[in-house]
Amino acid sequence: MASVKLTGVKKIYDKKVVAVHDFDLEIKDKEFVVFVGPSGCGKSTTLRMIAGLEEISEGTVEIDGKVVNDLQPKDRNIAMVFQNYALYPHMTVYDNIAFSLRLKKVPEDVIYEKVTAAAETLGITDYLLRKPRALSGGQRQRVAIGRAMVRDSKVFLMDEPLSNLDAKLRNQMRAEIILLRQKLNTTFIYVTHDQTEAMTLGDRIVIMKDGYIMQVGTPTEVFEMPKNLFVAEFIGAPKMNIMPAELTKTSSGAYSVKAFGVSIPVDGEKGAALSAKNAKNGKVLLGVRPEHITLTEAGPEAIPVTLEVNEMMGSELHLHVYTDDGMRLIVRVPTVNLDNETRKSLVQGKKLYLTFSGKVMHFFDPKTEENLLN
Amino acid sequence: MSKEQKKAFEAEGRAARKHMGLKTSQRISNTFIYILLVVISIVWLIPFIFILLQSFRVESTNQVGYVIPQQWGFKNYIALWNSDFKSWYLNTFIIALVTAVMQTVIVLCMSYTLSRFRFKLRQPLMRFMLILGMFPGMLTMIILYRVLKDLNMTQANAVPGLILVYIASSGMGYYVSKGFFDTIPKSLDEAARVDGATRMQVLTRIILPLAKPIVIYTILTAFMAPWGDFVFARYVAFGTSSGYNVAVGMYNWLNKDQIGACFTMFCAGGVIVAIPVAILFMCLQKYYVEGVTGGAVKG
Repeated sequence: MASVKLTGVKKIYDKKVVAVHDFDLEIKDKEFVVFVGPSGCGKSTTLRMIAGLEEISEGTVEIDGKVVNDLQPKDRNIAMVFQNYALYPHMTVYDNIAFSLRLKKVPEDVIYEKVTAAAETLGITDYLLRKPRALSGGQRQRVAIGRAMVRDSKVFLMDEPLSNLDAKLRNQMRAEIILLRQKLNTTFIYVTHDQTEAMTLGDRIVIMKDGYIMQVGTPTEVFEMPKNLFVAEFIGAPKMNIMPAELTKTSSGAYSVKAFGVSIPVDGEKGAALSAKNAKNGKVLLGVRPEHITLTEAGPEAIPVTLEVNEMMGSELHLHVYTDDGMRLIVRVPTVNLDNETRKSLVQGKKLYLTFSGKVMHFFDPKTEENLLN
Repeated sequence: MSKEQKKAFEAEGRAARKHMGLKTSQRISNTFIYILLVVISIVWLIPFIFILLQSFRVESTNQVGYVIPQQWGFKNYIALWNSDFKSWYLNTFIIALVTAVMQTVIVLCMSYTLSRFRFKLRQPLMRFMLILGMFPGMLTMIILYRVLKDLNMTQANAVPGLILVYIASSGMGYYVSKGFFDTIPKSLDEAARVDGATRMQVLTRIILPLAKPIVIYTILTAFMAPWGDFVFARYVAFGTSSGYNVAVGMYNWLNKDQIGACFTMFCAGGVIVAIPVAILFMCLQKYYVEGVTGGAVKG
């Protein structure tokens, strides 16, 4: 168990390409931090710099208060789980898990105890004598986790460990990682491109883009108060609807927003926050999450749209619609609220009317793309 | 029988005839291929059978006009044992063994380095070695002889001299094994390094066990080259019997003064020389094929 501190960490390839820019982050002892972002955002590179598998171009990485920049991976007291499992194909599951302990010259009886205990925790006791090729993807991933577990490391690093698994197995393994974290109670740094994994696993999430940190916060913070347009669109599935709008402050001091010719008052906390920030009138980018938009009857406060695609997701429908001026939006409608007839009527080309409350709006500066309420 | 049943019956008949036709044509082509292979094998085996038969011939030590010996025995092998052949065989064995071990170590380290490490002159070095490899080794013979002569590693001291020459160019033969190492995922090295392994432990405990076929291939090729070398060995050991290897020593039996007395002994020597290589190949054949073809396609 240890804290990890990254100060001004940079990764420059061939003195030209900057993969990670001035990365500053302090990870507390026993914290579960998730690095999330699209491909090429530098999340894996940052993790590999912490592991010692990638040279640090500038800045420092500290583990438990000690600068580890020049230490070999083996001397950093870390354990790592790789995306492609990286199991040694010529060794049995037992030997794979025991490998690091044998290198440390731990007595065989202690190794036996540790390996069998880890195998029991992960439910792979029956496979200890098998070679990795005789295991399924999920079992292989468990072995990889087991190999990291027996090392009793200060920091547990995971580089997209669930990416190679199918959707069903991924959900199962995600739950198992949550349980494992409770058992191990150590510092975790987890890299993923899947925002659902990030939201469900992390105490804090680090959202990255093009080598820069976009936002660091708890899952609730990044979901409810995205710092900028990128975070707003990246976190949440389906992604947040972004539409051009006009923000107006009325004579009474209240705010309203006009989108697609419909004026909607901004009330609740959002309205108060705009007042506190003394937001000016003008063009804004309005963000509304698909689950916050509701279907309504035709009326002066309803936005008319045409249904393009209706995706049946089981407990909800994802309606892909477009407005009269061609703007595409997604609406998430729980099926429990729909009667059979309405459900059947939602076919391509159907005219629908949408509305949303002022309480759920996000406002972004069209130029800087920063959240106006930050 | 209804119309549908009749149609189905006819269709079944057509399929069966087609199947039989296929079987017959396949049988004919297989027969042809096997006959061809048997003929090729016989052509290949004739010289070996000839040498084997001559080595057991007792009635005459000279070349004769027939193949099957009239009198059989081990006389030639016994004569071989009492000749200089023993020391030549030992010389060859020492040279081949030391070269095989050293060359394998050098080639595997070189291949691992070029496959896994990224350093400034890596690409130019590989290109340089590719170009250098295009020149025939014979070109270096004169200068190598001069160097060995200055180091007192010729004639009677040809064995260490030849070992030095064979080992010196080992690094050049890294291509096949580097190609094989390239197919082993780098994440295995990284996982091992995180697990606490040094670079050397990564090579010996992870990479080499996975690259068993290529290690075997490297050992075999490293053993074979000095085992059968003639030109270089003759040049370095020139005129001194104690420095000869089997190829050079036995070659001298074929000159016109000696062939009459030594031809059958030469054949017996040929058989003895072939034995270790044949055993090696038989034991390691599986790995050898994997090694030669490995790395061509990602498995």
